[in-house]
Amino acid sequence: MLELRNVSYAYGDNDALRDVSVVFGANQLVALAGPNGSGKSTLLKLAARVAHPSHGTIAYEGRALRDWPAKEYAKQVGYLPQETDPAFPMRAIEVVVSGRAPFLGRFAWEGESDFAAARKALEMCDAMHLAERYLDEMSGGERKRVFLARVLAGTPRVILLDEPLAALDVAHVQQFSRLLRDIVDRTGSTVVFASHDLNWAAAYSDRMLVMCDGALALDAAPSEVMRPEVVSGLFGFEANVTNGWLVPR
Amino acid sequence: MKKATLLLFVLLAASIALAVSLGSASLSWHAIVAGDPTARTILFRIRLPRVLLGALVGATLAVAGVTFQTLLRNPLADPFILGVSGGAAAGAATATAFGLAAYRGIVPAIAFVGACGATAAVFTLARRRDYVDPTRLLLSGLVLNAFFSAVILIAFSLSKQSDLTAALRWMMGTLFGASWNDVALLAVLLVIVITALAFCANDLRMLAFGEDDARSRGVDVERVKWIGFGASSIVTGAAVAVSGIIGFVGLLVPHLIRLIWRRDFRYLLPLSALGGATLVVLADLLARIAVSTTELPIGAFTALLGVPFFLSLLRRSR
Repeated sequence: MLELRNVSYAYGDNDALRDVSVVFGANQLVALAGPNGSGKSTLLKLAARVAHPSHGTIAYEGRALRDWPAKEYAKQVGYLPQETDPAFPMRAIEVVVSGRAPFLGRFAWEGESDFAAARKALEMCDAMHLAERYLDEMSGGERKRVFLARVLAGTPRVILLDEPLAALDVAHVQQFSRLLRDIVDRTGSTVVFASHDLNWAAAYSDRMLVMCDGALALDAAPSEVMRPEVVSGLFGFEANVTNGWLVPR
Repeated sequence: MKKATLLLFVLLAASIALAVSLGSASLSWHAIVAGDPTARTILFRIRLPRVLLGALVGATLAVAGVTFQTLLRNPLADPFILGVSGGAAAGAATATAFGLAAYRGIVPAIAFVGACGATAAVFTLARRRDYVDPTRLLLSGLVLNAFFSAVILIAFSLSKQSDLTAALRWMMGTLFGASWNDVALLAVLLVIVITALAFCANDLRMLAFGEDDARSRGVDVERVKWIGFGASSIVTGAAVAVSGIIGFVGLLVPHLIRLIWRRDFRYLLPLSALGGATLVVLADLLARIAVSTTELPIGAFTALLGVPFFLSLLRRSR
């Protein structure tokens, strides 16, 4: 579905991504793990068509991203950046319905079908009760759910989330991880989420991509990543594994 | 939305009617209908163009203000923040220093050139390879405004005393001497600019969530920035050229509208235009009639009218 071939990207002279090749299929929950600055965000940005690779190509359904009309691609692939707070106060329903933007004509306003899609997305994220509330009156966890609903309102087939679990407490992390699992199971879409927390990245995902210094270090099932020798080799982090969780040694 | 537009439209129409009726020379509708030439001259040559120009200037400043705030994602942005007013004022002050104030139309023309030059300079400074950096844009505007202040101070020191009064009055904002030419020029420009902004309105409101987010939604962010900043700056330059520097409208009106209706850019654009027009028409009316012997600066009245209203709304909002 979505294929990166020998993709590199540099911010000025700093290489952020080095020769990454990876293929994302349908119906997968993929965790993008790795330490801060390892290139997770950059990979998601390039896949979301926010920036274009310095070298290599990215293709969706066999067609290079540069050849996709911007709005058409936006209907296929939804992206949630790390920070998305709107500059001015907005109600949740307005935020979510703005996820329908790629479907709107130039002078068109959202219609009833767009609001129906927005409400459905809010429901899926268990956030219907927040619809009329203002974002700045919400907790971090509630806000994250609203923004996930905004992505879902566009009914994308690939969903790219940059650190959606950051700034959530442990109960909300679990709730949100389950929600992601649920979305993949119910919609058959592919969710790729970046997380610097190895344990949570592994907990609900089907597949883990581990990034190191801008390169793809490992692409494997969570059970293969969560081993003391692998973790120690990749991160220099000495730990035991108990019930699939890393515990510092 | 329809109710809000209608309400503001009625408010604007009422303000225009009031502003046309009142002034230092008393004007009776009876005399106008009867065809009294003096009354007709006052109405059609002096008062009506002035009131309409005020409405257009107010709409321009408010539209530019809401556009800048949206593009820069900064609630403190106003139409003058990128050096438009500084450039215009420096142009006008320099023209005055060279004794050109005596020739009608020269000062506004040079002011407009100054406004456009300042905008172009700010954009050139803020451009990095393939995109315009909003932070650099703000910083460049700030620094250029400081530079223009220096030019203005020097130009004023070199100007003739007799030319200074008019120049100072212009810098404080005035609609004195408004002509139908000014009205026509600004009306045409404003219609073009509002159309261009309406064309990008769906994209502009997506910028509220940040540039990366908007890009991922298929918005051509760089194009929207060029159209938004370019169109707003040019029409602001024209407004400043014909009316001087009327402060506060561009900053205040979008916030007033937002405090009452709390909606996205597509609503704020027309509502701000109507609100800005109403505020300047009323401010100019007060500036004309508050003291019978002289005219006071409009900029003072936009603030005097706007600030209490704004503060009371702010206190009542969450």
